[in-house]
Amino acid sequence: MSGRVVGQRVARVNDADPLHGTGRYVDDIDLPGMRHAAIVRSHVPHGRLVTFDTSDVPGDAIAFGPEDIRGVATGGLPVLWTLGDQSQFHTPVVDDTLRYVGQPFGVVVADSRYEAEDAVECVFADIEELDPVVSMDEALAPDATLLYPERGSNVLSTFDAGDTPEHTAAVFASAHRTLSTTITIGRVHGMPMEPRGIVAVPGPRGALTIYTSTQTAHAVRDSICEALDMPRRLLRVIAPDVGGGFGLKDHVYEDEIMVAIAAMKLGVPVKWIEDRSESFLTTTHARDERHSVDVAFDDDGTLRGLRIDALRNTGGRFAVFGGGPLFTGFGIVPGPYKWDAVRCRGRLVATTTMSTGAYRGFGQTQGAMIRERVVEIVARELGRDPVDLRAQNMISPEEQPYRTRTMLDYDNGDYQLALRRAEELITTGATPDDGRARGTGYCSYVHMAGIGPSDANRAIGLAIGGYESAKVTMDLDGTVQLATGVSPHGQGLETTMAQLVAEELGVDYTDVELVWGDTETTPYSAYGTAASRSIAVGGGSAVVAAKEVAEQIRQIAAEMLEAAPADIELVGGRAGVRGSNISVSISDVAAQAWQGFGLPDGVEPGLQASNVYNPVSATFSFATHACRVAVDESTGQVEIEDYVVVNDCGTMVNPTIVEGQIHGAVAQGVGAALMEEMVYDPSGQPLSSTMLDYHVPVSETMPDIRIEHMETPSPYTPGGMKGMGEGGTNGAYACVVNAVIAALPDADWAHLKTPLSPAKVWEVSQSASE
Amino acid sequence: MTNRRSVDFQVNGEPMTLDVEPRLLLADALRHELGLTGTHVGCEQGSCGACTVIIDGRAQRSCLMLAVQADGAAIQTIEGVSEQGEDHPVQVAMHEEHGLQCGFCTPGIVMSLVAAHRAGTSVSIAKEEVLGGHLCRCTGYVNIRAAIDAAWTRLDGTS
Repeated sequence: MSGRVVGQRVARVNDADPLHGTGRYVDDIDLPGMRHAAIVRSHVPHGRLVTFDTSDVPGDAIAFGPEDIRGVATGGLPVLWTLGDQSQFHTPVVDDTLRYVGQPFGVVVADSRYEAEDAVECVFADIEELDPVVSMDEALAPDATLLYPERGSNVLSTFDAGDTPEHTAAVFASAHRTLSTTITIGRVHGMPMEPRGIVAVPGPRGALTIYTSTQTAHAVRDSICEALDMPRRLLRVIAPDVGGGFGLKDHVYEDEIMVAIAAMKLGVPVKWIEDRSESFLTTTHARDERHSVDVAFDDDGTLRGLRIDALRNTGGRFAVFGGGPLFTGFGIVPGPYKWDAVRCRGRLVATTTMSTGAYRGFGQTQGAMIRERVVEIVARELGRDPVDLRAQNMISPEEQPYRTRTMLDYDNGDYQLALRRAEELITTGATPDDGRARGTGYCSYVHMAGIGPSDANRAIGLAIGGYESAKVTMDLDGTVQLATGVSPHGQGLETTMAQLVAEELGVDYTDVELVWGDTETTPYSAYGTAASRSIAVGGGSAVVAAKEVAEQIRQIAAEMLEAAPADIELVGGRAGVRGSNISVSISDVAAQAWQGFGLPDGVEPGLQASNVYNPVSATFSFATHACRVAVDESTGQVEIEDYVVVNDCGTMVNPTIVEGQIHGAVAQGVGAALMEEMVYDPSGQPLSSTMLDYHVPVSETMPDIRIEHMETPSPYTPGGMKGMGEGGTNGAYACVVNAVIAALPDADWAHLKTPLSPAKVWEVSQSASE
Repeated sequence: MTNRRSVDFQVNGEPMTLDVEPRLLLADALRHELGLTGTHVGCEQGSCGACTVIIDGRAQRSCLMLAVQADGAAIQTIEGVSEQGEDHPVQVAMHEEHGLQCGFCTPGIVMSLVAAHRAGTSVSIAKEEVLGGHLCRCTGYVNIRAAIDAAWTRLDGTS
């Protein structure tokens, strides 16, 4: 809970660079002799590459085609999550079969990006076109063209989660009533403001240094080394400043590996920066799911059973985490409610579109939508207040720790309190008579964050470890470095991690520097920053390491002050004897420690400690969101008039940063609910290739979100943090949709599909007035 | 392709001469010819506003302009906003109100707000229309609006 610096609203330590233009994003890197790349991409959704003819490429440019790339990329890119009867465990760096518009199959290098793009136009690629398979319905048709004929079907995996069919059928048979609905989750794009990019710098003796806009330097290193069959020790990956990631930058992409290959072949640094249209076409999309849902319940409102049969459009090949998002959505779909049975079946469907992969929420956003829609339709069927129905079915603190039907062990928290407080806060009073319909929507959720330990990941088919490490070093002058495997790109970890360490060491948080994003200077992390786990797992590790250094300081100070270590307290930059005015500055202790002068027996010179923290369990944040919308039925336009979040993410290291994360996450949920959609035309050509076609929230979209905090520390994490970066998105998506539906309760919502764009809301509102 | 033009302009008060291809975007000239990499390119299509700089007093997208079109102009970039080491109230407020996260869109927003205040724009227009010309994916805009309130208060003595 709140400490001297933990829990305080201190200002961020790293704002000065963006505010003065002194940051260093990947495109800001300029090296002597550096050349520039552009990528050769498929313009067809499905085809076979027959020739790659570079004879017209001008002499000062050089093109590398599939044969050149294959000659170096002898391995493939790993698919890190295995589910059900999946048979695709690697995807090739370059493939002669093209399965989406934008698929890269060559790279051209020239003296400037302008010239490289000119030269791409001179590559002649002869492509034999095959039939596109754009929608999941087309892909599942009996006579469908197969993307992977050897698989015998466009279903790349079928898997189950939760209860057995028999148990579920018995619960459904014993319930008083059942209802069914279909929910279609639109395809979205995370759209970080900075596109992807890479600078590859060959070094002596086969070494390679890569600067890349990534969330996860170690995973990029691992994948490139696997693809190129290269020893890990030769490759250094550095994340400079990163302009947003949201899950899209959690792995390396084929085009980036092609640039690295070009740099190695040419022996000079090569830069490639994705342009915005490339980003829309070829940086992983997300979601695109259709859920057929049955719910069983009793007349008194008791929720009994949930059965989901879901399809996820996985695109032309698996993204790095395969069907992981759908599986994770299934895991969390029970939410804060008690059920007697939850059974889910997922199928991953290949189509000739871009892959769908990780994006803020990683399936938990969809899980919240399914459950919170189901609660609403049950309440409507029974004529019950949906808030009361939620409260009736919620897991109480007395029942925790609580194991869900999907085998998650919730830690702690008063879910009802958050719900009731949100209900109190949200505006529901008299509406102005402006002809618009009003609706209030809710979403209560539990958010699985702080994912780990390692063996829990392996048990669900996820091939990456779930621990994090930290190394805390106090230098001779009393300033501190914290080396971490997590990798901030907007989350403010430079500040919050410094607060955690400063709390233990009694120094100013501005004297603690976070060292991150470099495989050579930071401990291994399979995740980097992803899955809302940086502060819970990475921060937990930092707390433990900092406590160890604090103990070293206390021992040395005790020797200097002729006191007992247990009586030494570290505060305000000094180590002092509790209850006295005897103290020594921590920097003097550090100076002595590093020379090894006057150390007590058994204490080694230096002040440093490393920790590896493999958590006991995942952590579970929770919240209720409530919002009030006004819907203009004549235009379909939705305005969010009020938005309330009651949030609990365990110990808050910095409430201002927590609120900033909620604001941004809510905006992304609002976007998916009301406007964001990646669209392909029936021939498989992407229509959402610019920011004018793909709408994200602007300032006008977003109200001033009102946030109240609850703070139930995690019983597991050293420090009590639970993690929260994605939670706002999980809440906002369903909350806004529920509010729009509440405003138009008599419209036909039987086949709900997001986003609820003005056109769609108008169309549906016409069904109500008929 | 060897057709080149000479461009003379003032950047952050310094006279500069560049020899450029006519097709070179102003954003690329600032970033890659002059090394002023604080101006960010988010879309190259005029949508996101990250590349906004002040040209002859007006906030403009440097991705929608060729360097040769800036011949004779006075340009201010994010690198030139602080004066004699003192931050502009917009910069101060963005920091104090937690108005930035990843920081990629931030320079463009700061440039638009600095130009807007100089032009006498009201705080409500700054929040609604000036900020409305920028995309930010991290903040949900809530704290940027708080920063605009704080900056205008500081600059005008009123909100």
